Amino acid sequence: MSPLPERPLTVLIAALGGEGGGVLADWLVAAATRLHFPVQSTSIPGVAQRTGATTYYLEIYPVNRSELGDKQPVLALTPSPGNVDLMVASELIEAGRAMQNGFVSPERTTLVASTHRIYTTLEKMQMGDGRIDGERIMRAADALARKALLFDMAALAQQSGTVISAVLFGAMAGSGVLPLARAVCEEVIRASGKGVEASLRGFELGWRHATGEAQQPSPEAIKRWAAHPHERVRATLPGEVQRIAEEGAARTLDFQNARYAALYLDRVEAVAKLDREQGGGAGGYRLTLETARFLALWMCYEDVIRVADLKTRRSRVERVRAEVQAKANEPVHIVEYLKPGVEEIAAILPARLGHALESWAKQRGLRLQKGMYIRTTGIVGFLLMRFLATLRPLRRSSLRYGIEQQTIERWLEAIHAAAPLGLGLALEIALLGRLIKGYGDTYARGRGNFLRIMDTLVAPTLPMSESERREAIRNAREAALADPEGRKLEGSLSSVGVTPLPPRAKPLQFMRKPTIARPGAPAAGAGSAPRS
Amino acid sequence: MERLFTEEIRALQLGAGETFQGEGILAVTKALLQSGVSYVGGYQGAPVSHLLDVMVQARDYLDELGVHVEACTNEASAAAMLGASINYAMRGAVTWKSIVGTNVASDALSNLASAGVKGGALIVLGEDYGEGASVIQERSHAFAVKSSMCLLDPRPSLPVIVRMVEEAFELSEACNSPAMMELRIRACHMQGSFIANDNRAPAISARLPMAEAASFLYDRLAHPPATFRQEKLKSDVRMPAARKHILERGLNEVQAGGRDDIGLIVQGGLHASLIRALQQIGLADDFGNTTVPMLILNVVYPLVPEQLVEFCVGRSAVLVIEEGQPEFIEQEIALMLGRAGARTTLHGKDMLPLAGEYTSEVILRGLHQFLARHAVDLDMSAATQWVASVDRLRERANELLGTAMPPRPPTFCVGCPERPVFAAIKLVEREVGTPHIAGDIGCHALATFEPFSVGNSILGYGMGLASAAAVGPAMARRTLSIMGDGGFWHNGFLSGVSSALLNQDDSILVIMKNGYTSATGTQDVLSSPGEAARTSAQAASSVHADTRIEQTIRGAGIQWLRTVHTYRVSQMVDTLREAFTTAQGGLKVIIAEGECQLERQRRIRPLFSRLLRDGHRVVRTRFGVDGDVCSGDHSCIRLSGCPSLGLADSGDPLKVDPIVQVNQACVGCGLCGEVAHAAVLCPSFYRAEVVQNPDWFDRLRWAIESRLIGWLAPA
Repeated sequence: MSPLPERPLTVLIAALGGEGGGVLADWLVAAATRLHFPVQSTSIPGVAQRTGATTYYLEIYPVNRSELGDKQPVLALTPSPGNVDLMVASELIEAGRAMQNGFVSPERTTLVASTHRIYTTLEKMQMGDGRIDGERIMRAADALARKALLFDMAALAQQSGTVISAVLFGAMAGSGVLPLARAVCEEVIRASGKGVEASLRGFELGWRHATGEAQQPSPEAIKRWAAHPHERVRATLPGEVQRIAEEGAARTLDFQNARYAALYLDRVEAVAKLDREQGGGAGGYRLTLETARFLALWMCYEDVIRVADLKTRRSRVERVRAEVQAKANEPVHIVEYLKPGVEEIAAILPARLGHALESWAKQRGLRLQKGMYIRTTGIVGFLLMRFLATLRPLRRSSLRYGIEQQTIERWLEAIHAAAPLGLGLALEIALLGRLIKGYGDTYARGRGNFLRIMDTLVAPTLPMSESERREAIRNAREAALADPEGRKLEGSLSSVGVTPLPPRAKPLQFMRKPTIARPGAPAAGAGSAPRS
Repeated sequence: MERLFTEEIRALQLGAGETFQGEGILAVTKALLQSGVSYVGGYQGAPVSHLLDVMVQARDYLDELGVHVEACTNEASAAAMLGASINYAMRGAVTWKSIVGTNVASDALSNLASAGVKGGALIVLGEDYGEGASVIQERSHAFAVKSSMCLLDPRPSLPVIVRMVEEAFELSEACNSPAMMELRIRACHMQGSFIANDNRAPAISARLPMAEAASFLYDRLAHPPATFRQEKLKSDVRMPAARKHILERGLNEVQAGGRDDIGLIVQGGLHASLIRALQQIGLADDFGNTTVPMLILNVVYPLVPEQLVEFCVGRSAVLVIEEGQPEFIEQEIALMLGRAGARTTLHGKDMLPLAGEYTSEVILRGLHQFLARHAVDLDMSAATQWVASVDRLRERANELLGTAMPPRPPTFCVGCPERPVFAAIKLVEREVGTPHIAGDIGCHALATFEPFSVGNSILGYGMGLASAAAVGPAMARRTLSIMGDGGFWHNGFLSGVSSALLNQDDSILVIMKNGYTSATGTQDVLSSPGEAARTSAQAASSVHADTRIEQTIRGAGIQWLRTVHTYRVSQMVDTLREAFTTAQGGLKVIIAEGECQLERQRRIRPLFSRLLRDGHRVVRTRFGVDGDVCSGDHSCIRLSGCPSLGLADSGDPLKVDPIVQVNQACVGCGLCGEVAHAAVLCPSFYRAEVVQNPDWFDRLRWAIESRLIGWLAPA
C-alpha cells in the first residue's frame, strides 16, 4: 500500500456561463472515477449560464478506494485561498480575478489560463478605450503562480472546431498537476459521445501547448500601415511623425482629392514647425503626432458620401464573406441599415440650402427619418450607394464641410496659441480631437463636449497657470469620454470654477388629470371622470 | 425545458446495491422515491430546479410507481399541496428556492404546521445563500422556529444527505410536523456517489386510490378553536417527540476527539468547510478525524437540550459554527446552558462574522481566535502564518494587477427578446424623461446591470407593479413597471394587475411574454405556446399562439392594452411614448412578445442542421460592423450590451479607440440593425445573409450581380 497523499488535490475552474465548464468538471470527475479516486465537484451556476462569471471546484483524493477501506476522505465544497493546486481560467481577467481572490499562490498553484479576452460590458460601453491591460495580467500571473501556462485557448478551440473546455482539459492534463493520465482523459472524452473528434483535437492542442511541444506565434503588430512613402512628408516632416502623416495624407486623398491632402499637410507642417521651435524634438514631436492623427480623422469625417463610398468597395465584399465564414459556393447578400434624416441630408447640401432645410424642418418639428434597408450586393442598391459616393466633388461647398473646417481651424489656432505657453498644454488641446466621433446624437454630444471645453478651459477666461490648465483639460477630456451624457464633464469643469450648465431638461409631456375618481368616491366633475 | 435529463432519469431507477453517481439535488430526488412518496411538487428556482425538472420529465416512470408530480404555479400552491398529508398517511415532498419561496409559501406552511401531518411531509429548500446566490440573504431557519417544523441541515456527503431525506419522513411522522431540509447551493450541485436502495411504490397513490375521504375531524382544521389546542400540541407533544426521535435515531453525530476542555458545535452543512479549516491548523486528518470534539447537527431544529448540555458540560469553552444571522442556534444553546447551570463559555458570532458565507477561510479565522484563547497549549503558528500569508497574497495580487477586475454579472443571452425592450426604454427616456421604473424578478432583472442600469426597486417575484402603487401618485411622470410572464402567473396578476385596476392606478406595465420561466431553465407556464404552435412556428417566435395573458387582463377590465413584438424597436418606442403621454388614465399594459431565445434555438439548431444535411436552401443571417465606418464610440453597446458585440483593435493606425466587432456567437437576431435605425446610431452595421445550399436562381443571380458590381466598384 502506497503512503497516503498529504492532502486532496484541489482544482478551481473560473469560466463564463455557457462555455462548457460543467462538461469540463464532469470529464474530470469521470476520469478520477475511472481510476477509483474519491472525487467531488461543485459549482455555483445560478443564472451564470447567462454568460456571467462562475466557478467550478473539484477535489480529488488520488488514492484507489480499495486502498482506503472504510475510510472516506472529507472533501471540501469551497476553495480556500492559497490552497489551490490547479487554477484554471477560461478567460484572462477571470485569471486576474482569481489572483485577486488569493487563489493563485507561488508555493502551490499552477495557473492554466487562456489569454484571449471577452470584454465585460463595463469595458465595452466606454466612449473611449475602457479595456483592462491584458499584458499586465499576464505579467502578474508569471510573478504570482508557481507555474503559469498562458496561451490563447479560444483560438485553439476555433482551430479544432470545438469549445474552449476541450482545450482547457488538454492544458490541464498537460500541466502535469493532475493525477490523471492522458489516455484516461481521452477515454473519458470518447465515452461522452458528443463531438468526440473535435474535442479530442482541442484536447491535443491544449496538451501540446501546455507541455511546450507547440507554441503560438507572438501576436505581431496588427496595424495596417497602408500608405506608400510620400515625398513631401519625407522632405518636410520629422521622422517620428512621417508614418502618421503619410497615413493621414493618403486618407484625406481618399476622402476628397489631392488638394485636400495638401491642405492636410499644410496644417500638419505648421504645427510641426511650431513644435520644432518649442523644442518638441526632445519629446519625439508628440504634439505634431497627435495633431496629425486627429486632424486626419477629423478631416475625413463620415458623411453620407463617405459611408456610401466605403460600403461599395470591392474589397469589402471579401472582408464580409470572411467575417461571416461563408463557404466559396455560398452567395452572401449584404444589407445596410441607413436612416438618413434631415441633418444628414442638409449636411451634404450646399451651405445655404442646407441651413434653409434645417430651419424649415425645425420650425415644423420634422425629423423626417426613414429607415432604409439597402442591399449593396444587389444592382439597384449598389447603384444608389455609388451615386451618393459620386457626390464627392460637391462636398467642399456643403454645409457640414464648412462647419467642420471652421471648427478645425479654431482647434488648430488654439494649439498654435498654446504651444508657446507650453507644449504640454498644446498637446492636451490636440488630444481633444478624440472627442469628435460617432454619428447622430453621439456625434452631436461629442462635438458639444469639445466646444464646451474649448469655450471654458482652452479660451483663457479663467486665471490658471499653464500646468493647471493642462491638468483641467485632461480631466475634462477624460470625464467627457467617461460619461456620454456629459454630467461628469460638468462636474469636472465646476471643480475648476466653471459654472456648470443646468442639466438638459426632459420634457414632461404627460398630462395628469387633477383628480381621479376612486371606487366608492362621489363622482367628480365631468372633466375628471376616467375616460373609458 | 432547457435541459434534457435522460441519463438522470435512468439513475433514478437504480435498485438496491447499485451505485448512484450524480448531482446532490438528484440524489435527493432518488431518496424521495426510496422513501415511498405519493406526491411531489414545487416551484423551480436555483439551486433546486433539477429536482422538479427531472421529475416532470420522468413522468412515465413515476406513473408506473404511482407518484403524482405537480409543477405548481407558485410556492404557496406547492406548500398547500402538502395538505394531503394532514388527513392521509401519504408521504409527500415539495421543493423551492429559499428564502424567497418560503416567504411566498409561509401562509400555507403556518396552517400546515398548526394542523400537523399524518403522512411524512418534507420541504426541500434550496438555501440560496452566499456566493452565487440570487436572492436576499436571510435564513430559512426562522420559519422552522416560528412554526415548529423540523429543520435538517445534513452534512454535505451524498450518503448522508440520502439517509437524512429518508430519516426526515420518519421524523415528520414521529412528531406529526412537517420537516424541512436546507441544502446550500454547492451541496445541491455537488457531484458524488452513494449506494442506492430500491424505490418504494407508495401505498396510497393514483395506482392504489383511496375509496373514502377522511372522516370529519375538527382537530385537523387550522381553524379556531382547534388552533389553540394545536399550539399546545406543538410544545407539549410534537417537539418533544421530535427531540426523542432525533436522539434515538442518532441523527446528530458526535465525534469524540481527544480533548475534553473544548468543543465545536457545527451545522451539518458546514462540516466539510470546518474540517478543511481544522486540517489547515493540523487538528484534523483527511478523513475528518479531529482532536477537537465535535457535535454535528444534521437536525438544526428542534435542538435536543439533553444532547447539547451533555456535550458542553465539563468543557471550559465551546464554539458554535452557525452561518447567517441572527444566531438562532447559539442563542438557544446559551439559554439551555444557563438553565442547566453549566459554566461553559459559549462562543459563536463574537468570533465569527454575523453576515456572509462560512467558507473554510472564514471559519479558520474564527477558530484561530477561539483556540488562541481557550487552547493555549496548541501551537497556532501554522494558522497565524496561513492567515498572514493569505492577506499578503491578496495584497501582492492587487499590487501586480494595479486595478480591480471589472465585475462580470450575467447578461441577456445573445438573441434574447427582452434586450430590445430595454433598448426601447432607453430611447424613449430621451424623449419623455426618466420615469420611476419598478423592476421585478426574472431574466428582465438583468437589465439592472450595465449597460441598461434600469430599475429603481425590486420587491419580489411578480411584485413590480404593486411596488409602484404609492410612487405613481407622488410622481409627475407615469411610473413604468416590468413583469415577466412567469411573474404574472406566479402572483403578478393578483398582487399587481388586479390591485392597480381596483384602485384605478394610472401607470404603465410592460409584460415580457417570452413563453416560459426562462431564468430558472425555461419551464412551462400556463401561457406557454403549445407543442403544435412551437412546431409550426419553426424558427420564428411562437408565443403569439397563446393569448391567455391578454384574455385574463381583458377579462379583468383593462382599457389600454397593446401587443408589440419586441424586435420592432421603433414600434416599441412609439407604443411606450403613447403610454407615457396619452391623456387616457388607468393602467396601460404593453405585452412585449418574443419567444425565449433558448427555446427557439433548441428548435432551430436541429431543424437547420436537418435541412442543411438534406440539401435544402437555408439562409443564415449574421450581423457585422464595417471597421472603417465604426468610429469606436460604442454607443451601440450602450444600447444593447449583446455578448456578441465585442471589441477589437481597429487595425487603423490613426484610430486609438477599439472598434466594435460582431463575434461568432451572433445569431442574427436583428437587434443591432433595429437599434441603429431607432436610435439613428451609425451606419456601420450590416446584415449578411449567407445562402447555404443555393439553388440555381441564387447562383445565377449571384453570378450576374457580383460580376457587374465587381466591374463597377472601385478597389
